[in-house]
Amino acid sequence: MADSRRFIVRQGDAATAVVVRTDGRISVGDESEAFTVLPIAAGDYLVTQGAHAWRVAVAGPPDARWVSARGTTVCVDVQPEGQSGAPRRVAATGGLSAPMPGTVIEIAVAPGQRVQAGDVLLKLEAMKMELPIRAPRDGVVSAVHCAPGQLVQPGPPLVELA
Amino acid sequence: MIRSVLVANRGEIAIRIFRACDELGIATVAVYSDADAGAPHVLAAGHAVRIGPAPPAESYLSAGRILEAARSTGADAIHPGYGFLAENADFAAACESAGITFIGPPSAAIAAMGSKISARRLMERAGVPVVPGETPADQSDASLEAAARRAGFPLLIKASAGGGGKGMRIVRGDDELAAAIPGARHEAKGAFGDGTLYVERLVRRPRHVEVQVFADAHGGAVHLFERDCSVQRRHQKVIEESPSPAVTPALRARMGEASVAAATAVGYRNAGTVEFLLEGVGDDARFFFLEMNTRLQVEHPVTEAVTGADLVQAQIRVAAGLRLPWAQTDLRQRGHAIECRVYAEDPAAGYLPQAGRILLYRQPERPGVRVDAGVVEGSDVSVHYDPMMAKVIAHAETRDAAIERMLAALSDFRILGLPTNIGFLLAVVDSRAFRAGDVDTAYLDEGRGALAAPSIPAAALAAAVVHADACRAAAQSAPAEAFPDPWASLAGWRG
Repeated sequence: MADSRRFIVRQGDAATAVVVRTDGRISVGDESEAFTVLPIAAGDYLVTQGAHAWRVAVAGPPDARWVSARGTTVCVDVQPEGQSGAPRRVAATGGLSAPMPGTVIEIAVAPGQRVQAGDVLLKLEAMKMELPIRAPRDGVVSAVHCAPGQLVQPGPPLVELA
Repeated sequence: MIRSVLVANRGEIAIRIFRACDELGIATVAVYSDADAGAPHVLAAGHAVRIGPAPPAESYLSAGRILEAARSTGADAIHPGYGFLAENADFAAACESAGITFIGPPSAAIAAMGSKISARRLMERAGVPVVPGETPADQSDASLEAAARRAGFPLLIKASAGGGGKGMRIVRGDDELAAAIPGARHEAKGAFGDGTLYVERLVRRPRHVEVQVFADAHGGAVHLFERDCSVQRRHQKVIEESPSPAVTPALRARMGEASVAAATAVGYRNAGTVEFLLEGVGDDARFFFLEMNTRLQVEHPVTEAVTGADLVQAQIRVAAGLRLPWAQTDLRQRGHAIECRVYAEDPAAGYLPQAGRILLYRQPERPGVRVDAGVVEGSDVSVHYDPMMAKVIAHAETRDAAIERMLAALSDFRILGLPTNIGFLLAVVDSRAFRAGDVDTAYLDEGRGALAAPSIPAAALAAAVVHADACRAAAQSAPAEAFPDPWASLAGWRG
């Protein structure tokens, strides 16, 4: 007897149980009525629930699966239940390194300066946008590893907090 | 007439210009950096020339390499698009002296409008209203106070030497003036080493309304009405529309006249845009010259939709020395058009630009909807260039109908593989303030258009799971995949 398969779908901090039943229908979380998923083309599905229908686009690997329906797009993590999820590739936005290659346009702090979580440490320019790098926590600036005008890459810390 | 046009640009605007050339029977030449080998704009042209590595300074901003590409392919005209070299007077002059037609204004007009101070002086002389303000030669408190009263309240006192808000004070009335001047001077001196102050009337809740102008070499000059670009974040336009919900016929006529006067004052030719800050609504609203963009604008399709004109074809004709294809009385605004700019960015993370590969791309197709895109499925959005991927333009008989059409188009637009602002655009277009036409330039930045976090329907989660299943089953059972996993062809990307 083929058993149903259970998955955990995570979107940020929210986790939803999704069960693929033996009849092929899908139960999602505490939704009372099951869904039917029909493939239309590569990455394109028609999902129905009773009289409701959605066109859904899907692409990407299980741990970074992009889903779009009615103008809303999210990236979720799909794991069979019981397996611990692989670490998600989450964009670093509060860290001390550049989130993307960019040019340092302003350094707002100096070594020895006390900063609070959320303070702007420096500003980068990338893709014509100004990106502030903020302190992820309270602390004292112990080192600044970049200079205005410098092109920096993601990874190495630009500022160190003690 | 021009026989071959090189487009010194990339992405959607290069493709837009190639389409105009195709329809005029003109040969096309693309240029590309290493990051853009095989990009859609390269495939859209008859010829393509590599001009250098990915960084713009070594490719799309390299006047020498672009002129060399024009020479080697026999292009007799260059269209700069927008951005990059479009408002570089030296580049326009270099084209002129190389005997290549620059599809844009004369270099002198670019230079005259490129300096804010000279542009302001020119506009004042031409009778175009500017925001009242001055940098008094006498910087004493008494002299600054007198200048402030001439400009009128509320006003801004700011450092003459720099920007970024340092040394800037908002003064609402006479009683705040005495304290604000020394404070601003001290801050300006600290930040820029120069305490010279500038006073300027503060325009309250300004809308950004701009007027499309067009002039030829035979004395013809017209305007093609206004575009309202008040929905901005950090001075970048996000949504544009024509007509402006704030502009009445009488105001439109005054703004149009002022814009043609502005163009005439600088000996302008070809397409240009005169940008204004608009204060208030209705016949009594006041407008102030902001700057002139001496190029084709990103948002030109909005004007094309309501007038039926092809601005790029007109640019090419005028550059070739022909007359404008329209007289002022030929031009009408018909219906309402809205444009949304689709960016690879994460609005929830401070509009952080995103780079990556587009795994799935489906653009909307419906009556009255135009999509100008620079990407296709499989394209890499590079960190080197502007993150705008596409523009969606919805045109309908009324503003309300255009809004509904835009909402439907954005809901149909699916780009997977990297965060986009599509959900954000939907929320803004659907907001009460936008629907009421009551948005000023600070609307987004002040968070008045606060957004709910996107919630995905449960149905989408079901599909997300089935997609995994389908891919796995296909991989196990048949080599010819029933559901090809786009991921499978992207080996090497995950690490």
